[in-house]
Amino acid sequence: MVKGALFRKSLRDMQKSKSQFLSIFIMATLAVSIMTGLDSIWFTVQNHADAMYRAANLSDLWVTVQNPSEQQLWGIRQIGGVTQVEKRFSADADTDLPGGPTLHVYALNDRSTLDQPELQEGKFAKSGGGAVLDSGFAKAHGLKVGDTVSIKLNGVWLRLSIDGLALSSEQVHAVKNSATLVPDPATYGFVVVHTGVLESVYGQKVYNQISVKTKPGTDLTQVVQQADAEIGRELIGITLQKDSSSVSSVNGRIQQFKTLSIVFPLLFFLVTALITQSTMMRLVENQRAQIGVLKALGYSKRSILWHYTSYGVMVGVLGSVFGLLLGPNAFGRILVPQLKLAFSDYKLSINFGHFVFVFLLILLCTGGVSFYACWKLQGDTPAVLLREKPPKKGDHIFLEALPSLWRKMKFSSKLIARNTVKNKIRLLMSIIGVMGCTGVIISALTIKSTLSGITDQMYGTTFTYDQKIILDTKKADSRYLSNLDLDGVTQQAEESALEVVYPNGEQKMEPVTITPKDSPLIHMQDVAGNPISLPENGILMTRKLCKSLGVEAGDIVRIKRTNNGYVSVPIVQVAYLASGQGIYMTDTYWESLGETFKPTALLVKWNGTPDEKFLASDAVADSATRESQQSSLSSSMQVVNLAVIMMIVMGASLAFVVLYNTSILNFVERVRDLATLRVLGFRHREIRNLVLIENYFSVLLGMLAGIPIGRFISWIIASSLDERLDLLGNITLPDVLIAGVTTLCFAWIINNVVARKMKQIDMLEALKSVE
Amino acid sequence: MDFITFENVEREYHVGDAVIMAVDGVSFSLGSGTFNVVLGQSGAGKTTVLNMLGGMDSPTAGRIIVNGNEVSGMSEQELTDYRRTQIGFVFQFYNLVPNLTALENVQLAEEICTDPLDAREMLRRVGLEKRMDNFPSQMSGGEQQRVSIARALAKNPQIVLCDEPTGALDSETGRKVLRLIRDVANDLGKTVIIVTHNAPISEMAQTVLHMRDGKIAEMEFHEHPKDVEEILW
Repeated sequence: MVKGALFRKSLRDMQKSKSQFLSIFIMATLAVSIMTGLDSIWFTVQNHADAMYRAANLSDLWVTVQNPSEQQLWGIRQIGGVTQVEKRFSADADTDLPGGPTLHVYALNDRSTLDQPELQEGKFAKSGGGAVLDSGFAKAHGLKVGDTVSIKLNGVWLRLSIDGLALSSEQVHAVKNSATLVPDPATYGFVVVHTGVLESVYGQKVYNQISVKTKPGTDLTQVVQQADAEIGRELIGITLQKDSSSVSSVNGRIQQFKTLSIVFPLLFFLVTALITQSTMMRLVENQRAQIGVLKALGYSKRSILWHYTSYGVMVGVLGSVFGLLLGPNAFGRILVPQLKLAFSDYKLSINFGHFVFVFLLILLCTGGVSFYACWKLQGDTPAVLLREKPPKKGDHIFLEALPSLWRKMKFSSKLIARNTVKNKIRLLMSIIGVMGCTGVIISALTIKSTLSGITDQMYGTTFTYDQKIILDTKKADSRYLSNLDLDGVTQQAEESALEVVYPNGEQKMEPVTITPKDSPLIHMQDVAGNPISLPENGILMTRKLCKSLGVEAGDIVRIKRTNNGYVSVPIVQVAYLASGQGIYMTDTYWESLGETFKPTALLVKWNGTPDEKFLASDAVADSATRESQQSSLSSSMQVVNLAVIMMIVMGASLAFVVLYNTSILNFVERVRDLATLRVLGFRHREIRNLVLIENYFSVLLGMLAGIPIGRFISWIIASSLDERLDLLGNITLPDVLIAGVTTLCFAWIINNVVARKMKQIDMLEALKSVE
Repeated sequence: MDFITFENVEREYHVGDAVIMAVDGVSFSLGSGTFNVVLGQSGAGKTTVLNMLGGMDSPTAGRIIVNGNEVSGMSEQELTDYRRTQIGFVFQFYNLVPNLTALENVQLAEEICTDPLDAREMLRRVGLEKRMDNFPSQMSGGEQQRVSIARALAKNPQIVLCDEPTGALDSETGRKVLRLIRDVANDLGKTVIIVTHNAPISEMAQTVLHMRDGKIAEMEFHEHPKDVEEILW
């Protein structure tokens, strides 16, 4: 039982250095669990979304056109690749529920097959008057199958009886508009009805969208161009599935976690490799003579190599198994619900293909590194190995090139300096560990303050109105508005969407705001924070939109006019707006393009109390105070707190494991040197400081290195967090300082633990045992 | 005469349930500035005696008095101060700090002592003026031991304790090292105690304590100790 004996030896060796092997195990587990955990998040979302889209028979694109004719429908049906075409109605409607939530109404033709709701409860009749309500919305408002809900369309209240509760592929990430970041089923949901229901409102069946399904692999750009030509001047816009609000948000989430699952765990893999390296190096060095004995006994090179490699392999395999169990359950189960996606009960999907890759990677970091550590020694002959280990080499270091400085240094500083420089791997390990800790904390804090900065920018600087009033455009025409005499500063605005042509020929609907030039209640800024005004002879575009269009100030973009082909407009100004990307222009410029300015919203800064009489009038469809917008935006950012805590915990574990290890190693490796100093009469505190000051030195270097890392991680997270947000991810001094102090606190705690451990080891005993 | 006094000193160790009397009722006195050897086989308790005298270990019974101070009753803190100011150690395996040069190893003493001797001067005395900037790994065993002696003496201690100082050296080098210890200690008026199992070395001592099984078997006094060169081993 040769193998059995060696196996027992490895178990006992690990038992002896249990804190080191435990550290490798913890790091390996963390690395694997973070990677598989983050992986499982996007994989789960992707699988669920795909299954849902398939089941719903989700359209590939929607052509928005008011009351499409049979001829237009037929024309689109004839475009190459198009397999299915259906008309439908899609619009937001007010409800009579408390809090005034909005329901998006989808009216489908009888026996329609595209864009079907995914029924959770009740039924969706093939035809008739019943409605299917958003199940999340129903739950938030305590509605059940058999209840009724009233919606207001075209100024008419419509009572709908709820036949079923469902999910919608178009409302997985259900937000009313781009100003809402996190879905809230209490304020926004959807309802699906049959087009017949709308007859009581409009007097006839109405449609405003053509749902188009194509063969897989169809060039959608071609379809869009042909559909555009087919509909002609009546076309309002064409939206591809991937650009539709919910689908693009879901894809954004998937992309975000894909990026994080690659970037984030890297540090942990690196640290795993470094801890393994230093542990195995020391173990193999200490067992020089044993290796010699094994060789002398006749063990082959290969079995000795495998013996030492197996230490790493065992820990790596164990870490992978635990990581696989922990990661998806901890990260997946906690974070997937936080995405607030409207899925039916989902099962976590684990991406086993990626797990194999992660498994091999961690084996490389543990087993591979162990193999390398042993590789160097096994070449020596047994006789060489059995001989006493040559004394450790001391070396002059670069500091000595400055004799004036070197001579002034105390011996303890010299010792610390030489020791630090000599153990580069250990230094590197501490620096990377601390760097990761500081970097992660910096980025966590940065993301938090960046997100709260959005609220400040949006509702502190950019928008200074008290109240935003959505006008009922039928009642509040320009004459009504010009006769309106409100006590306060007002600003009219037309908010809609314009089709913009991308350089690659793609067409996308982008939000547009048209408002008078003096703009007393909307204040645009550039990236540096300088105020900029709306241009008179062109448009203003937000920075992120410019980036995704690939244009900059001075360039020309083509936009679709409401009724007549395309027009080229110059981008005169680029503004930085964290949330709410889009196009801004003056009413005069808009009219110079041959369009009319039809305000849809009125911004008001009241001189005294709000004019309740006006607010209650027919002309007002809806209104929101700036405070309520601001608080709903900031409350939607609360989820970030959880992520921030998780990141800080990860950073702390990185610092703890790494620093504890390096300090203990630093101490154990030099226990004889330190014992000598002790015998010479050095005090316990002085010797402890030799080890701890070295620690603080690497902590300091690590913290400095953590700043650019934090900047980098912040930047990655900021740019992948949300497509609709333009986050700079700039780190600020206070965040860096907080992260630094936090890291120092961790280091201080670890140093105290190490100091206690140092006291437990009788150093004189270590010295005497040699004699 | 009585610079160092041991009075019925005992030291027991507990290993599991077994009690080992490493030192079992040892009493002796040594004068200031003398050159002494503790002789015995391994396990005789001689290193334990040295450790207790050096403040690295404390007796379980009895008293140790050095220069009028009772070392046996000292706290951990006081023992450190005692080692710091009164004791110089020379080890069998030198125990130099590998990361410090020869000079820096000796300068260690300057860091902690109130009245150290000049490190360069001490290295000159042990004949290493040309090797001051070398690291221990670049020196032979004899050279390392000489650095160790310089380091012990640079602290300007009252007592120099040497545990098998020649144990890892060949006989010729060992002879030189012993000679050096005696000459330098003599010049500076230090009390030297050498622990060894090497009987011939005892011939150069003024007092020889023969130890066996934790007890002093015999005390031997030499009016005229031999010179190192006269010793055969």
